[in-house]
Amino acid sequence: MTPATSFNEREALVCQTARLIDDGKLYWVAGGGGPMYAVLLAQRMGYAPNAQYLTEDGVLAPQPLLPFDPIQTMVSARAGYRALQWGTMNTAQDYAALGLVDYGILNTLQVDQWGNINSTFLGEYPDAGRRFGGPGGADSIAAMCWRTILMTDQDRRKFVDRVDFISSPGFLDGSEGARERAGLPAGTGPWRVVTPWAMYDYDADRRLRLIGVSAWVTVDEVLAECEHKPQMAAEICVLEPPSEEELVVYRSELDVRGQTADAGAWIVYQDGRYVRAG
Amino acid sequence: MQTAMPPAVEYLRPDPDGFRAYVRDHKQRALTPRVMDEHEAVAKFVADGDYLVYDCNYLQRGPASLIREIIRQQRRDLWIGAKFTYVALGLLIEAGCASRADVGFFGSRGPGFSRALRDGRLKLYEYSNAVMTLRLRAAAQGIGFIPTRSFGGTDGYLWSAARTIEDPFTGLPTVVLPALYPDVAIIHVHQADVYGNARVFGTGIAHIDTALASKKVILSAEEIVDTEELRRNPGLNHIPWFVVDAVVPAQYGAYPGSCQGVYASDPAHVAEVFGAMTQDKLGAYLEKWVYSVGSHEEMLERHVGVKKLLELRRRETVREGYTA
Repeated sequence: MTPATSFNEREALVCQTARLIDDGKLYWVAGGGGPMYAVLLAQRMGYAPNAQYLTEDGVLAPQPLLPFDPIQTMVSARAGYRALQWGTMNTAQDYAALGLVDYGILNTLQVDQWGNINSTFLGEYPDAGRRFGGPGGADSIAAMCWRTILMTDQDRRKFVDRVDFISSPGFLDGSEGARERAGLPAGTGPWRVVTPWAMYDYDADRRLRLIGVSAWVTVDEVLAECEHKPQMAAEICVLEPPSEEELVVYRSELDVRGQTADAGAWIVYQDGRYVRAG
Repeated sequence: MQTAMPPAVEYLRPDPDGFRAYVRDHKQRALTPRVMDEHEAVAKFVADGDYLVYDCNYLQRGPASLIREIIRQQRRDLWIGAKFTYVALGLLIEAGCASRADVGFFGSRGPGFSRALRDGRLKLYEYSNAVMTLRLRAAAQGIGFIPTRSFGGTDGYLWSAARTIEDPFTGLPTVVLPALYPDVAIIHVHQADVYGNARVFGTGIAHIDTALASKKVILSAEEIVDTEELRRNPGLNHIPWFVVDAVVPAQYGAYPGSCQGVYASDPAHVAEVFGAMTQDKLGAYLEKWVYSVGSHEEMLERHVGVKKLLELRRRETVREGYTA
């Protein structure tokens, strides 16, 4: 693998997540975008050639025809191309309820120290604040897949002590057995949070814990973008930057319109180190 | 952060025996034709105050032409099952048609939406997409509630009609949801015969459960096919005639969304409607696409045109699996 010398932070996020993908496991991915790309990249790079995914509309193990038209990430011929099954939302949730879906991958607005996810409301629910679209499929994913991976931006408004509204469940109040008492399947829960700057897991007390940072930021810079200060692993590793090989596949086969790179900051390798450009 | 205590949440009360009596008296078990145009179907079967569900949405193989007709006929006080929804809820709010919504997900934002919330013209109740489809599945089974392994522990749960009971057989704490028996469902299908036997190719959200669960069912059909053709492969026939009240022939009925395997979506229109929503210009959008025309066909003729319609077909290059 050749470390890349010029890439976008959002591309780095997908590459980092792709390396987490477990071979032979089934993923429920939030429709289109980063979560789907992470599984496809892991398949094509050989990290997890036999990882499979399903989407909320019941598409099972497709070989999608990229790119998709805007919004057409589900219930579309290109997204469902060469699938092994076309189902419905209820077939998707059945597989997760049965325990057959190993991982879920989500994007989100806000996450807290217990891995609870907010995609409904910023402010004081119900009246004082800004309304967003609601959990969609994320609640089912976070509740019923064995492990949940969250992809998000490193932003202090996103990493908070307590989310303003729990749209999708993490470890709830953090107490042991809280999920089971709430009626959720035993042994499930948040597993990793990945941002362009950092990687987190959860400690034995189910609290968010920083385990790695990207080569172009310091631990302090990451913590400055956390309103809630996470637990710290004994050793914080430096995450491997994206490789040229990953980017070739990602850019030429997956995000072929370069939409990911429209959004995030640019990183370049200069004078022996990675720096944020412009 | 929450300061208010969750209120006793309003929800559509399931009434399984009432539903049984209703369908006994209203649904046609005889094979009688029920084809009509969109104007007649909405006039007959969508009433002010109805609880309305659509399968899929305005941009993804949904009954877009029927949504526009409901707006054109200015139905009022609808309660919307807003799962898997982008702009549909925003359009219905802007048009003054909807006053309540059970939320799974809606991608409708913008100033008009915020005003409706602030002025109390719109009440939202919290669910998730799959919780909404489970509620429909419960109704499709003719029962009053359904357990789920999701939704527990969320704030949505607190602000919804869901409850927790002890499972009498396992002893597990179990979240239960009220069955959802909508007053009216609108569903866009690939094929239907004149009686309402229908086929959807490709994925859907909950088209079969939605059709079974609803008191009144309007199908818009991309293609009206001969019943003889449906008899040749009964395994593909998903929706039976006796739950369907109206079949509306509607080529390009999902426009501006795609109808899988038949035509692609219109990205320019998708951008136009999202742009209108965020820039507070939905009024102009509705004027052009809904009020200025008398029908779906007139809209296609005046505002879309043959060239664009042919292009949408050409761009849908995947056809495998979308025909009998």
